[in-house]
Amino acid sequence: MNALMDDAQPVYLYDGTLEGMLTAVFEAFARREAPLNVAQEHCLQQSLLCSYIPILTDAEKAERVQVGVINKLGERAYDNIKQVFLSDDGEKGGVIVRYLLYTMRKGRGSCAHLANPAVNAFEEVLRQVSKEAHYMLQFVRFAQLRNGVYFSRIEPKASVVPLIMGHFAARFNVQPFMIYDARHGLSGVFDTERWWLVDARDIQVPEQTMVEDAFQSLWQTFYDTIAIEERRNPTCQRNFMPKRFWGTMCEQIPPQLRNLRPKTATPTQAAKQLAARNQTPHVLSA
Amino acid sequence: MELLDKLTILADAAKYDVACTSCGVNRAAVKGQLGAATSAGICHSFSADGRCITLLKILLSNVCSYDCAYCVNRRSNEVPRATFSARELAELTIGFYRRNYIEGLFLSSGVLKNPDYTTERMCEAIYLLREEYGFRGYIHAKAIPGTSPELLVRLGVLVDRVSLNIEFPSEKSLKLLAPEKAGASALKPMAFVRDGIRANYQDRRLSTVRRTRFVPAGQSTQMIIGASPESDYHILRLSASLYQRLELQRVFFSAYIPVNTNPLLPAPGAVPLLREHRLYQADWLMRFYGFDVNEIIDEEHPFLDPLIDPKCNWALNHIDQFPAEVNRVPYEMLLRIPGVGVRGAKRILCARRERSLRFEDLKRLGITLKRAKYFITCNGRFAKGVLFDPVSIYRELTAQAKRRRLKGAVDGQLSLFDAVAGEREAAFGVAVGMSGQAPRNMSPYGLQGNAVGSRQALPASGALAKVAP
Repeated sequence: MNALMDDAQPVYLYDGTLEGMLTAVFEAFARREAPLNVAQEHCLQQSLLCSYIPILTDAEKAERVQVGVINKLGERAYDNIKQVFLSDDGEKGGVIVRYLLYTMRKGRGSCAHLANPAVNAFEEVLRQVSKEAHYMLQFVRFAQLRNGVYFSRIEPKASVVPLIMGHFAARFNVQPFMIYDARHGLSGVFDTERWWLVDARDIQVPEQTMVEDAFQSLWQTFYDTIAIEERRNPTCQRNFMPKRFWGTMCEQIPPQLRNLRPKTATPTQAAKQLAARNQTPHVLSA
Repeated sequence: MELLDKLTILADAAKYDVACTSCGVNRAAVKGQLGAATSAGICHSFSADGRCITLLKILLSNVCSYDCAYCVNRRSNEVPRATFSARELAELTIGFYRRNYIEGLFLSSGVLKNPDYTTERMCEAIYLLREEYGFRGYIHAKAIPGTSPELLVRLGVLVDRVSLNIEFPSEKSLKLLAPEKAGASALKPMAFVRDGIRANYQDRRLSTVRRTRFVPAGQSTQMIIGASPESDYHILRLSASLYQRLELQRVFFSAYIPVNTNPLLPAPGAVPLLREHRLYQADWLMRFYGFDVNEIIDEEHPFLDPLIDPKCNWALNHIDQFPAEVNRVPYEMLLRIPGVGVRGAKRILCARRERSLRFEDLKRLGITLKRAKYFITCNGRFAKGVLFDPVSIYRELTAQAKRRRLKGAVDGQLSLFDAVAGEREAAFGVAVGMSGQAPRNMSPYGLQGNAVGSRQALPASGALAKVAP
């Protein structure tokens, strides 16, 4: 290696899995160096000033890191690392490694050193991911499909489906549902007993029911009616509910575009469908 | 009548109710039942007015036997009327809940025949939702003053929160504007609900078996601001005593929006949103920042300054307690620094254990220095360019407010601001330079909706005369 490369900042390349990331952490400790970043192999613009070191994912090393973190910093810290890992931030790898290099040396209390740049950067990404997860608890909208499943399509800025499934599986335990994250190609599926994650890209979903159409227009009506014209405040509205979520929320469809969705089922078909089940789908089955 | 039409009529009639919170109670999910509640609450949407939508806020019926002057549903108004059946309401709530549109139901109603009859109808509807549909989401019900205690108990065990509206900040205004409601004050049933909550708490604490909960998320109330002549001083003292004596969870303020024309009410004009905002700021100071009502407002200055928030105002009036050294002052004092919130104060407390904080560190912690920089030092140093002098701080803070107003200027607000600002600066000049403070008894909001004799009560102040139309 020439002199230039000796000074170059190391960047680790990993395969995009949590195990890969933890292996990279292991390597950083083993080599006693702080990599500039831990990046995914295929999504990277290479720079001359960095030296690239591929990391081979090793389940054993990953587990040693996991055990080490839990023993030294606690379960909560490990959960936080998993949560930061869900972020879309390209710098998250570097953030995690620098955080662990600092906190593993200083011990449990150091997770609260908020003014330290390493801890601060980590907390910031953590906060963004939690915020995105909370946005999803607020703005996920389910639509009932003809196969009886409640379906929701989301496009979050972090891969938060694993963080939100528990919440929905608890309160909606009487209905099968699916949350499809179109941006990350990941779905959470719940069958009224348990939930699991499925890799899914470009999925095809059945039509929604007539009852669903009815409820959407009821909700749209309620939404439009409840606003007080004299207090109109679009800035405040957008601050609480950024526009990037509006695309998947039925109440945000402008009135002139509502009910334009082509309907395959005629009212008679819908009636038959309901009669076949001998109950309206939104009544709880005993 | 179609369900859609009923929904339109009854949501429209309910929209002036302010409360829309789903917080204060944790109810874990149960297998086979729909719904759960989390104590932080979840807002599911925000309407065009920026208010959160967390509950299906709706009336059971907008048929009303009362004739309150300010209310859109009053008997003598010719508006379309509708009433939900218990079944319709339950289906609607469940349907919305299953789609993650709402956290639950906020049920109110016009007074059908009498308070008892109405409450019975509401109990029926909620009972159906809870028992037959097994709904475990959040329910907030409005109780009507004059309802018998037995029915309040029945309602209280079905819902999470009960609210009784006191409607106006004083009995006198209530008598004038809502004569039928004045017969039975809201304070008595509120005390009844408070005692019920206390007894239920003791009961559950001492019991080894699971007991029914009575109003687990506590009670709230609301009052209309700007339709009657009461001062901010009066309103804040009232809400302080509601929190302390009646142990309310929330007191809501609602800027008066004219829906009826009545000689007793203010003429249509600008909605006093800024006043409402300042009252909420003061309310927050009392609930989360350890302020006593007498620190926020006093009888000599009975209205909050529209130009600066109440915390800045307090800090300027107690400039001797500043600058606060962020690396040393206790948590209680950190909370009193303008621009530092509960989260910020906790973060400072946490971070300064490791190192002594500089201004860059504060920025990194997410502390907004826009207001805070005038009142703090880091290791004995002020921020760059800060002149620690109340008159100049006041001028700078109000300049920020004026720029904000300029962007979304409301007619007449600006000249009003100039008038108030000039007077305040003069007052500070006197206070700092010599002794005493210039008394300021007028309402800075006087022209936008303080009716019922308030105009006569106002002193002929030069500042106000200038902006009078």
